[in-house]
Amino acid sequence: MKEKSNNLLLDLYPSTKFLITLFIIITVFIVKGYLYGYLMVPLCLLLALYAKVFKELLGLLIKTLLVLITFIFLIQSFFYPGDTILWSWSFLSLRQEGIDFSLLLTSRIGAIGSALLLFFRITSVKDIVYSLEQLGLPSKVTYVVLSTLTIIPEMKKLSMTIMDAQKTRGVETEGNLRVRAKAFLPTLTPLILTSVASTEERAITLEARAFTAPVKKTSLYRIEKTKKDTVVRILLLLLLIVIIVWRVAL
Amino acid sequence: MKKGLKFDFTLIAILLIPIGVAINVVISQLVQVLRIPLYLDAIGTMLVAMIAGPWVGLVTGGLTNVIKSIFSPTELPFAIVSMVIGLTVGYFSIKKMFTSVGKTIIAGVILTFIVIIVSTPISVILFGGSTGDSSSAVRAIFLASGQGIWKSVFSSNLLIESIDKILSLLITYTIVKKMSDRYLSKHNYGQNFLDS
Repeated sequence: MKEKSNNLLLDLYPSTKFLITLFIIITVFIVKGYLYGYLMVPLCLLLALYAKVFKELLGLLIKTLLVLITFIFLIQSFFYPGDTILWSWSFLSLRQEGIDFSLLLTSRIGAIGSALLLFFRITSVKDIVYSLEQLGLPSKVTYVVLSTLTIIPEMKKLSMTIMDAQKTRGVETEGNLRVRAKAFLPTLTPLILTSVASTEERAITLEARAFTAPVKKTSLYRIEKTKKDTVVRILLLLLLIVIIVWRVAL
Repeated sequence: MKKGLKFDFTLIAILLIPIGVAINVVISQLVQVLRIPLYLDAIGTMLVAMIAGPWVGLVTGGLTNVIKSIFSPTELPFAIVSMVIGLTVGYFSIKKMFTSVGKTIIAGVILTFIVIIVSTPISVILFGGSTGDSSSAVRAIFLASGQGIWKSVFSSNLLIESIDKILSLLITYTIVKKMSDRYLSKHNYGQNFLDS
């Protein structure tokens, strides 16, 4: 059984958490204008504050979305086709249409991006694949996803070890581009060949534990749906209906 | 050995998927450490597709972007591109396109065009043609020279992707060639790389 953290948001069932994200993604396209999309970013941050992942989410938002949004503004406001010129300098001209377009586009990217980031911060991958398995996904998928997450840090370590080993053999990893590019293959080849070879051993190990046996597997790990999930789901559905009705009526 | 969607997912092929995804992720970091101005982030997908077939390659590509999107959600729409790379490379492998360096380069050229055709609409429609990395600067140059957004994204992609994809395929080809015959023979599509 999964331990309760006594935090309403963290204790929700994975698919309920995903419905919150899905709700934000759908409504961003229903509601007109860019203000709603931009409001979703602080809303996600507020939810993150409640779930105690605020710092992590803010850091990732700045790292992944801020640069992209700046680039979109720069490119669209100068190069989007339009006639309303606000300011111009030689061949560059700032256009109203471009600014409007980038406001709409970035508000959507911001809202969807922060909703997805929030979902992955409050839901562990283990929980996500567990709930997918409950929906009927084969347990092999669970194994693939979870083992990927453990293999990545292992392989990172291995790549650093190999790079150090090659350095002691005289392969240079610093200098101009040609020197650095030359270091790429001597690091990569052993890394890939070692990891690929390890799959054979792993296959034997898993086979010895009846991984491919055609029987129903049981799980030690369990998450249960509670009444809170039902309440949140109904609330989201009602909100969605209200938004759709309000949008159609206007 | 039976082949096709139903038979390609053998146990050893399934175990190769996490390795392929990890190779993709680790290489994109290695490229940053060595400051090489390319992505080279589909080598794992290509490797899996070459020896385990198009469908396993497709899953590897898709899973790579899903895992990456845990930390940068803008990668998620490009999962389609990664899946297409896996599918195409696997198909080329069936058609014995990876038997010599020359053929591999031709495969790289075709792959580049397929990748651009799939990725250009995604980056123009969803992100207005910006990606937030170095290729945005190249795009801005094309845009400033008076070309439309579609043409600019297409041209800048052609410039970067062609070098990237051909080089990636060549690296993958060299590495697969170095694998032992004993290991390759365990995979459904490994026999094309035997007795070299």
